[in-house]
Amino acid sequence: MSGEVGQSDAKGSNGDSAGRVSLRGIRKHFGAFEALKGIDLDIEPMEFFALLGPSGSGKTTTLRVLAGLETPDDGTMSMDGADVTYTQPGERDVAMVFQNYALYPHMTLDANIGFPLRMGGVAKDRIPGLVREAAAKVKIEHLLHRRPGQLSGGQQQRCALARAIVRQPRLFLLDEPLSNLDAQLRLETRVELKKLQRSLNVTTVYVTHDQEEAMTIADRMAVFLDGEIAQVGTPEEVFNKPRNVNVAAFIGSPPMNLIEGQVEGRTVSIGDYRFDLPAASGQAKGKVIVGVRPSHIAIAETGLPAKLYLSENLGETMLLNFNVGENLIKMRLPEVRTFADNEAVNLQFDPAHVHLFDPQTGLRIE
Amino acid sequence: MAASRPSNWALNRAGKARKAVLFGVAGMLMLVWVFPLIWAVIVSLKSESEVLAYPPRIIFEPTLQNYSDALFGGVSILPSLVTSLIVSTATTILTILLAVPAAYVFARLKLRGKKGLGFYTLATQMVPPVGLVIPYFLILNRIGWLDTYQGMVTVYLTFSLPFAIWLLVSYMEDIPREMEEAAFLDRANRFQTLWHVILPQVRGGIAVTIIFVFLNAWNEFLFAVQLGGNTVRPVTVAMYNFVSVEQTLWAKLSAAALVAMVPMIIIGIAAQKQIVKGLTVGAVKGGGRQ
Repeated sequence: MSGEVGQSDAKGSNGDSAGRVSLRGIRKHFGAFEALKGIDLDIEPMEFFALLGPSGSGKTTTLRVLAGLETPDDGTMSMDGADVTYTQPGERDVAMVFQNYALYPHMTLDANIGFPLRMGGVAKDRIPGLVREAAAKVKIEHLLHRRPGQLSGGQQQRCALARAIVRQPRLFLLDEPLSNLDAQLRLETRVELKKLQRSLNVTTVYVTHDQEEAMTIADRMAVFLDGEIAQVGTPEEVFNKPRNVNVAAFIGSPPMNLIEGQVEGRTVSIGDYRFDLPAASGQAKGKVIVGVRPSHIAIAETGLPAKLYLSENLGETMLLNFNVGENLIKMRLPEVRTFADNEAVNLQFDPAHVHLFDPQTGLRIE
Repeated sequence: MAASRPSNWALNRAGKARKAVLFGVAGMLMLVWVFPLIWAVIVSLKSESEVLAYPPRIIFEPTLQNYSDALFGGVSILPSLVTSLIVSTATTILTILLAVPAAYVFARLKLRGKKGLGFYTLATQMVPPVGLVIPYFLILNRIGWLDTYQGMVTVYLTFSLPFAIWLLVSYMEDIPREMEEAAFLDRANRFQTLWHVILPQVRGGIAVTIIFVFLNAWNEFLFAVQLGGNTVRPVTVAMYNFVSVEQTLWAKLSAAALVAMVPMIIIGIAAQKQIVKGLTVGAVKGGGRQ
């Protein structure tokens, strides 16, 4: 926080608080729909934390609970040790960027960014300086006299960011902030967002349904499935060691192939295809679900017999879809070449990168 | 450019024909609407004997005597204009002051029985006014509010409030909820949110509401004639001084009616921009904002 004395002044209320957040047993119903089925979550200070999941999985509801915009039916939330479960949004020292930005259309950018300062009782003569400072961080200082309606989507998004960072909140919440930008701008903004968070040193919670976004931007992430957290970990942990089949089937683009197999002794067999039991899954025996990522499959002389169903040329690589019995197996080929229709090949899995799951519980077998 | 290709040319001709028909129909409607007004202007400029001449004379010597009689004569409508102004202004101000927070509650807050209350608010508008004149007369008589400003304004409020609430709710519901949530997170309380975020965005709607409420109060006759009297005699009632059993003073009545219209026309012109903005708010999403 060195060199930011002037800014932390602006915080007034929160001083140098850390921004540690934890949720315990959070439940939330909307009518008969159970949006959150008992969420436990710990977010460390200064962490860039992503909530990843498909739509309707509860990630946005969790973010709204963090913001104080939803009151949980059950469970508690604490910030830096203090219970804030029923604290009003304005009293939590939390800033949020909404998916549609929610800029005030009748105010200039100047007034938009300064609004939280005015409402927070910051001295009037200090507001213009702080507004300019925040605007400069997101490079919109030349637009301050305009209104949101006169800006492009990207500029509006920056304005929403500036409004959120101007008061140096304790917790910074982002609800799919990049989803309304075009693909090119999204990639650029993603990088800037990460840099911005680093420079601000503020705990950040980021909701997205785009796993690539979560993987690249987050320090840690929680995978939401069906109102529950399926896994919490660094992007590498979640990608390399999915905790259960549901996470495995969600993470990756395209996600992991899942196919039934059998473990006998130190050998895994899928039909007549056999390979060595991965060392990491030493405990496995009997029926298992074999998981392997498309990039960990190779075409070989012998192996799992497969018939090409569809090949997709991705430019530098190819995505091949094979029929294996009743399963569809996707494989990423690191080169581009031509295949005959229905070409028959044999597939080999890389045993070092094979994941095994219990077919009953769906849990990963270690 | 249009003439360069036959198909465009044909299209252009069809477009012109359509335009002609549109203007024709619009012109006819306009004429039907404007004719009584023009007639009233002509009558107001004639002498009383000239008015009754048959067949009506197109060429006559115009006079402003009727206007001066209506305004400053023995049965001047000037005091009544003041009365109408007081009653309409008071009704409008009170309506807006009460309807804005009420509409906000209906539009945003979770409230037990909100649906029922909302229906009740609308239902009061369904009762024919004639059915209410006698009950209101009895009530006002009992509490000694007959022929008083507070009595008249209170009765007008019973009509204008539900209407204004219902109108404003639709404008407020049009504002995205996130905008309000953003304000809460920006540390604004509910009142500050209403004042800084919601109200500026429903300005058009409030302008439309003000005009409708003022217009209704200004034009109201039925209740004014029954519940008013010598103290509170709005201009709509006062105009009836020119109608008696023996004769109707058409020229003076026309002059008085035209004078009574002036405030409405001024308000209409002044607020034209806001009205158009306010009326299109529902039509185009976000069209009325900013």
